[in-house]
Amino acid sequence: MLRTLLAKDLRRAWRNPVPWLISLGVPFLITALIGMAFGPASDGGLGRIKLGLVDEDDSALTRMLRGGLNQEEAGKYLEPHFLTRAEALAQIDANKLAAVVIIPKGFTRDYLTARAPVKLELVKNPAESIHPAMVEEMTATLVTGLNAVARNLQADFPEWRNVFLDDNDTSLRAIGRLFESAGDRLDAARGYLPPLVTYEKTTLAQQKTDAMGGGAVRGIFAYLQLGMAAMFLLFMADHAVRDFYRELNTRTLARYRTLREGLLVFVTGKVVYAVAMVLLGAVVLLGGAALVFRFTWQNPAALLTLVLAYALFGAGLMGFVAALAGQERHADRVNNLLTMILAMAGGCMFPLEQLPAFVRDHLAAWMPTAWFVSASRGLQFGGGPAWPGAALKLAVLGGLLIVGTAALFRRRLAKGVR
Amino acid sequence: MPLLRADQLSKRFGELDAVDRVSFEVREGEIYGLLGPNGAGKTTSISMLCGLLRPDGGKVLIDGRDFWSDPQAARRIMGVVPQEVALYEELSGRENLEFWGRMAGLDAAAARQRAGELLAALSLADRARDPVKKYSGGMKRRINLGCALLHRPRLLLLDEPTVGIDPQARANILEFIRGLVREGTAILYTTHYLEEAETLCQRIGIIDHGRLHAEGTLDELQRRLGDTRLFVMEGKLDGAAPDVWPGFREQFRVIQQSERQLVVAATADRDPADCLKQLLALPVQLENVTLKRPSLNDVFLQLTGRELRE
Repeated sequence: MLRTLLAKDLRRAWRNPVPWLISLGVPFLITALIGMAFGPASDGGLGRIKLGLVDEDDSALTRMLRGGLNQEEAGKYLEPHFLTRAEALAQIDANKLAAVVIIPKGFTRDYLTARAPVKLELVKNPAESIHPAMVEEMTATLVTGLNAVARNLQADFPEWRNVFLDDNDTSLRAIGRLFESAGDRLDAARGYLPPLVTYEKTTLAQQKTDAMGGGAVRGIFAYLQLGMAAMFLLFMADHAVRDFYRELNTRTLARYRTLREGLLVFVTGKVVYAVAMVLLGAVVLLGGAALVFRFTWQNPAALLTLVLAYALFGAGLMGFVAALAGQERHADRVNNLLTMILAMAGGCMFPLEQLPAFVRDHLAAWMPTAWFVSASRGLQFGGGPAWPGAALKLAVLGGLLIVGTAALFRRRLAKGVR
Repeated sequence: MPLLRADQLSKRFGELDAVDRVSFEVREGEIYGLLGPNGAGKTTSISMLCGLLRPDGGKVLIDGRDFWSDPQAARRIMGVVPQEVALYEELSGRENLEFWGRMAGLDAAAARQRAGELLAALSLADRARDPVKKYSGGMKRRINLGCALLHRPRLLLLDEPTVGIDPQARANILEFIRGLVREGTAILYTTHYLEEAETLCQRIGIIDHGRLHAEGTLDELQRRLGDTRLFVMEGKLDGAAPDVWPGFREQFRVIQQSERQLVVAATADRDPADCLKQLLALPVQLENVTLKRPSLNDVFLQLTGRELRE
């Protein structure tokens, strides 16, 4: 009986695919648009950041910093242009640079004599959003690093001043000795330098992703697509479950009730249909995204289990709300609103860390969308809650909601609601 | 023994008595028509008879047994054709028939075979693979009827099965229904079309405002108006007062009165010519007097005080 009901609904969906195609197409579009917004996609990634550097100090130290920008690792992400202040500002006006970092005159002296905190000037191009923000982050990281070095190598600074300020010993041999000594001390202090350690950890995790076929810039598509999928799979579950109302309106449910006693099989059939459609949708959204955006899911079996549990939850939630709403029109409004709220507060649209503190600290823990999104992103990028726990919570909640849905619909129909 | 018996059925929706102590029965090989305007209580009655609604009062007996003592057994005996076209528009006619056959308890092979038979019987075999949304209104109605026949029900409940279709399609459906009756199927047929009730049904129940006002064969209902003649007087009748005309109330019953028309029936078996002479002598200015057999509409009018077409 269930198989016949499911086959009928799948056939109907196949013959009228437009609503499903919209639910499948929109997440791809959004993911692609956001992904591409990070930069030109000649290599499929963010593109190199066009950075202007104005070195008004022009000391041996700043010359070394400038040189570092052309090194292999930095060169992958940055396209530095060494300019005067006027040239740099003109190029910002002409929208040719994402940002300009200005090393002010006296920077080295101030730094090595500890006369003032480290100060760099940053001019961001207001016509761009992502690249200037990244330069700002990098500059802040550099300043934090320089301050950390200053705090920890205070005792070595007289020798540094000799090398970099007094111009009496700027031989490479002397600089090499300084770096060797500083390196030893930094190695010893590695565990006590939180900002630097944090950045290092992130880099290692990213290297792991690279090695497994994702690639740093590809990761962003996987990250986004998981959030989009979490939201649009709920829309799909909603559309499938609300078919109950379409059957009510077209009187096919009444016809069913003239042939069969009880509603449990029919409601279960709709839930199975919703779960099946969400699973199919997940295969297209997540599998398709991996193909289109060229990345690899790290643990597909665990991800599939998580999606199955999420499908149960989605079908149960949407069915329950639809049964409470009483009419398809009401269910449509309520479910759309609820999906948007769950998506926003669950970290589907924005990373949880960027949500308002109240949402992040108090609400997110109760959001099933957050359980799914955090666990699935954890599977892909490391960290996050353990996926078996998240899957279990989703499945149990979904089961309870499904039982509630059947009870509510039975009560409504017994009252003679058409 | 009747196959279907409604016994003092009642249903209230809030303050409204949708069905009020309605009783009738349908026998094997008989079409029983439930005639009434929209909102009379026909669909509510059918909903209670097939288990979609539980009655607030009264009983439904199917083949002598209370429906609710074994609803699934009762459902196996009956087929229900709802007033709306209750089909999946994305599916083909054949797919709809096979699906409802499976829901009625047939296995896949039996449902397939029976669907083929019904498609042929309903003259839809050549369109069997087309989605229902591409069918005409008449074709949809035929498939709608067929979906209730997969399990060969002995009792068929038809709720206005010809609403909104052209006369040719209606004639085809009515002929198909007559064929079912010839095979022994008992049919409850609700309609608000007088001619359908007159030409199709062996017995007719007249229902309005939830109450069954009268039932019987067409002849029996017509005889309720006194013999078989009605006199229709037309003229200037806005000031007419039949109650004060000497001896009028003893000789005639007023069926309907308006500013332009007065319809009366003779109270006893009298010569129509004598009746005409009497009517022409009344103190009103008449332009025309005609004699006719009473129609079902006249019966309805006399019972409910309004025309079925209102």
